Amino acid sequence: MNFSRAGLSELLKDGTKHISGVDQAVLRNIEATVQLSTLTRTSMGPNGMNKIVINHLEKLFVTHDAATILKELEVIHPAAKIAVLAAQAQEVECGDGTNFVVCLCGELMQRAEDLLRMGLHTSDIIEGYKKGVEKASEIMESLVIKPVSNLRDEKEVSGAMKSALSAKLYGYEDIISPVVARACINACPKNFKNFNVDNIRVLKINGGAIHDIHLIEGFAIERDTHGTVKHVKDGVKVAVFGCNLDTASTETKHSVVIKSASDLLSYSNSEEESIEREIKSIADSGVKVVVSSGGFGEMALHFIERCGMMAIKVASKFQLRRLCQAIGATALVRVGPPTADEMGNCDSVHVEEIGDTKVIVFRQDPKNVDRAGLSTIVARGATQNVLDEIERAIDDGVNVYKQLTKDQRLVAGAGAFEIELARQLTSFAEETPGIEQYAIKKYAESFHVVPRTIAESAGYSATDIISKLNAAHEGGKVNFGVSVEDKDGMDAVEESIVDPFTTKYWAAKFATDAAVTILSVDQIIMARPAGGPKPRNPNAGNNWDDTDEHV
Amino acid sequence: MSIQLINNNSEVASKSQALAINISASQSLLGILKSNLGPRGTLKMLVGGAGDIRLTKDGNVLLHDMQIQHPTAALIARTATAQDDMTGDGTTTIVLLIGEMLTQAQRFLGEGLHPSVLIEGLYLAKAEARNFLVTYKEQMKKNVKIDREVLNNVAKTALRTKLRGELADQIADIVVDSINVIKKENEIDLFMVEIMHMEHKTDSETRFVNGLVLDHGSRHPDMKTNVKDCFILTCNVSLEYEKSEVASTFSVDSAEKRQKLVRQERKVTDDRVQKIIDFKKQVCSGDDKDKNFVVINQKGIDPISLDLLAKAGILALRRAKRRNMERLTLACGGVAVNALEDLTKDVLGYAEHVYEVTLGEEKYTFVEGVKNPLSCTILIKGPNKHTIAQVKDAVRDGLRAVKNTIEDDVVVPGAGAFEIALHDHLIKYANTVEGRAKLGVRCFAEALLVIPKTLAQNSGFDAQDSIIALQEVHQAGQIAGLDIYTGDVIDPVQEGIFDNYKVKEQTLEAATFTATQLLYVDEILRAGKVQKQLPQ
Repeated sequence: MNFSRAGLSELLKDGTKHISGVDQAVLRNIEATVQLSTLTRTSMGPNGMNKIVINHLEKLFVTHDAATILKELEVIHPAAKIAVLAAQAQEVECGDGTNFVVCLCGELMQRAEDLLRMGLHTSDIIEGYKKGVEKASEIMESLVIKPVSNLRDEKEVSGAMKSALSAKLYGYEDIISPVVARACINACPKNFKNFNVDNIRVLKINGGAIHDIHLIEGFAIERDTHGTVKHVKDGVKVAVFGCNLDTASTETKHSVVIKSASDLLSYSNSEEESIEREIKSIADSGVKVVVSSGGFGEMALHFIERCGMMAIKVASKFQLRRLCQAIGATALVRVGPPTADEMGNCDSVHVEEIGDTKVIVFRQDPKNVDRAGLSTIVARGATQNVLDEIERAIDDGVNVYKQLTKDQRLVAGAGAFEIELARQLTSFAEETPGIEQYAIKKYAESFHVVPRTIAESAGYSATDIISKLNAAHEGGKVNFGVSVEDKDGMDAVEESIVDPFTTKYWAAKFATDAAVTILSVDQIIMARPAGGPKPRNPNAGNNWDDTDEHV
Repeated sequence: MSIQLINNNSEVASKSQALAINISASQSLLGILKSNLGPRGTLKMLVGGAGDIRLTKDGNVLLHDMQIQHPTAALIARTATAQDDMTGDGTTTIVLLIGEMLTQAQRFLGEGLHPSVLIEGLYLAKAEARNFLVTYKEQMKKNVKIDREVLNNVAKTALRTKLRGELADQIADIVVDSINVIKKENEIDLFMVEIMHMEHKTDSETRFVNGLVLDHGSRHPDMKTNVKDCFILTCNVSLEYEKSEVASTFSVDSAEKRQKLVRQERKVTDDRVQKIIDFKKQVCSGDDKDKNFVVINQKGIDPISLDLLAKAGILALRRAKRRNMERLTLACGGVAVNALEDLTKDVLGYAEHVYEVTLGEEKYTFVEGVKNPLSCTILIKGPNKHTIAQVKDAVRDGLRAVKNTIEDDVVVPGAGAFEIALHDHLIKYANTVEGRAKLGVRCFAEALLVIPKTLAQNSGFDAQDSIIALQEVHQAGQIAGLDIYTGDVIDPVQEGIFDNYKVKEQTLEAATFTATQLLYVDEILRAGKVQKQLPQ
């Protein structure tokens, strides 16, 4: 560095990039965001295309899911990254609708560029967008169609999920949605507000086809039992241990003092006896299945076999906790017979062979217990990629249910909702005085991105469809949306294509927020990228309870 | 140059060249920070080496994170951040003032004036400005009484320069609430406000929590996660097996003996847990039968102990942060205990509601509804890290602005009104100064106008028009501030736009000092690095 040269770049550390002003910063940011959205846009809707993403670990993803695409892409451009963050916020908040966030954000940015070229100041656009989102939330409330009246009705629930699932696995939604719906209903506690998405597990097993998807009411884990007992039926009592099932040992070092051969013999005997006593006492309490998180000592396993109990190792604490919840057990931290409260109950435990994979199934008929059950969906597919995609689809479906437990309101899908929202917002813009009205108008138009994309991917002329839909909406058919099979459109509600209200609500909020944030930046100062290997995802493989115990 | 004889890697800039470097560097820095000033200033996006994003309008954050390398710029940045350490506000103002003072000085220096003459004038002006500030203060003291509304307004003024309008107003309320909680007689310890954040929903969900929020939860699946009406035991006792400090081993000769040792080893910890459970039974009896019991421990609690506590219906949290232990007792009452012997009821605190919130993989425990608290929490929410960071910086500045106001017991009108008044005063004063020092006073006075000018520019108005309008109203004897939304002249006292007295005082002091230092410089030397030869 030479201090006698002035100018901004000389002030800062070497390698720092500095971008400022409307032309450089704002327009570049717009460009980046728009690029990002065009990337994910084509994946939207039932006829959306798949993307192949190969991430930095060379793992291959074939997906429709915007959240996955964005996560694996590792976007670096700061403005585009803000859009990604908005999508992530949506993923956390609603679990679905990430593509909508990115597309809407991109569209808002695109329109902002038009406005800038028209001569509007960024602060006017921001003002207009803010007013737009405020009014949009109001209008959304009025666009709600009939809410889901019964969250335990399979038909109603699967109807509400259909549109989310069809966006991922078009053509199979009628097969998958009832399974997911049943899984959710099975896992839904009495007070549905406490519904936890973690209570629905997906077990992916290679082979078979998508049609073989089925639900196991209860817990299933991909492994074999330790002993020879493979089937236990008719009201099984289960003891769950959160520790090793072996001889107890002290935390402090200890050594066995043996002076002669007879000492050794008597020591082994005493150890054998003590284990036998413990295992016996467990068996005497009526337990038929023993689950341990640590494992089984040779000796312990021997006695378990002798008592005719089934021995299962569940290593992951996470899985163990799920199992406890599914069967109503408490994980014991010391070896010993469980009390009646601590024992878990289920209808049957057995090893099932799916494909060539051995699966231990804890089956639990929900009618027999009054607590919320656990559901395991067994997904089948030819390749790992297909399975992953099915899992993501199921995940979205489950999240739709989660949204419904919070808020049962629904809105029309298939772009009908967006068309109506845009229409009403436009008329609001016309009533607004001042320069913001242009921004509000553009804000309204941005919502057209949904019907336009659906139409385009279905091979229709988007402009045509939008004008048709607009005409229909003017005529009072407010639920008229794009159909991928019929170029004249259809009534979305009649076809039961509906979306949860909250998804749309938050998506609009997050997208606008991101757009406003990107627009309000007029300078970017970038430090030189740090060297070294690319930072890996800090959360990868680091489940929150992996770091548990003895922190 | 002689210096190059000594070290041929060195660099040197002397006389007018040195001055020119200083001036141009300070102007460049001014150029960066200028667009930040005021509620309508724009955001800057800082991208770190790892690609992390930071969005800010806060001069202090910007100067800290920008990695400034130029010596002059770094000097100014340091002055400005020192200002932030002192008062929490006014960083951008300082950079602007220094930059503008040097720009004004350049004009006179170009005409051949010696810097020391100018500096003399600047010092005179500064002294007079202080006098003016003192009389101004007396006047303001009479006019504005510090009450809740004024405090709110001060917080709003400070926050609006960092956040968007509605959010700033909302947080201003939160900030004043918090200060009211922790305020003791003449003493405000801002450390007693816990600032917690959750990556969740939007920033408008930020709220004041009457109690504490801890960023961890219970680690036992069967523990209650939502309890009302509870006693709180704050303790710092290890409830897990601890290894002895000396190296020790046991020798056993039978499995029974070993089992016995296992049991005995556990017993030490179990006894402690039992003491807590007994204590719970003792206090949660009689009239307090329905009350709940919460243990918050600074040390660890192992799974077995957790299990015992869970069975006794106690909610136990382990590994609380040290700072929270102090705040907990201030918020809920009670005493933090270090030993479990002789527990009595008065060591317990109380909270109406203790509950756990899970966000993805993070857990948070809320201890809410405490009585007579001396500590509280501001819970910041936001959909992503940069939003949270932005709000957090703003909250910190807001808290300090309110604290300053209470300590000063006076406010100064904002919106550029003070600068206009001071400028006018100094111009009059300049006429009474004899000799060339006059020029320095004028230079100072003109530099002050950079604040209202920049405010006007950032809001999209013509700087000259606005200044003249303001000056005209001021001459008519009114307090004149700039309305950044319409460009008209307003009375900041009426509109509730207030700045801190302390900040103004510091700003004038620090800016003048640094500016004069830079003007005094006539040579910049830089020792070149000599590549050391490695010994063969």
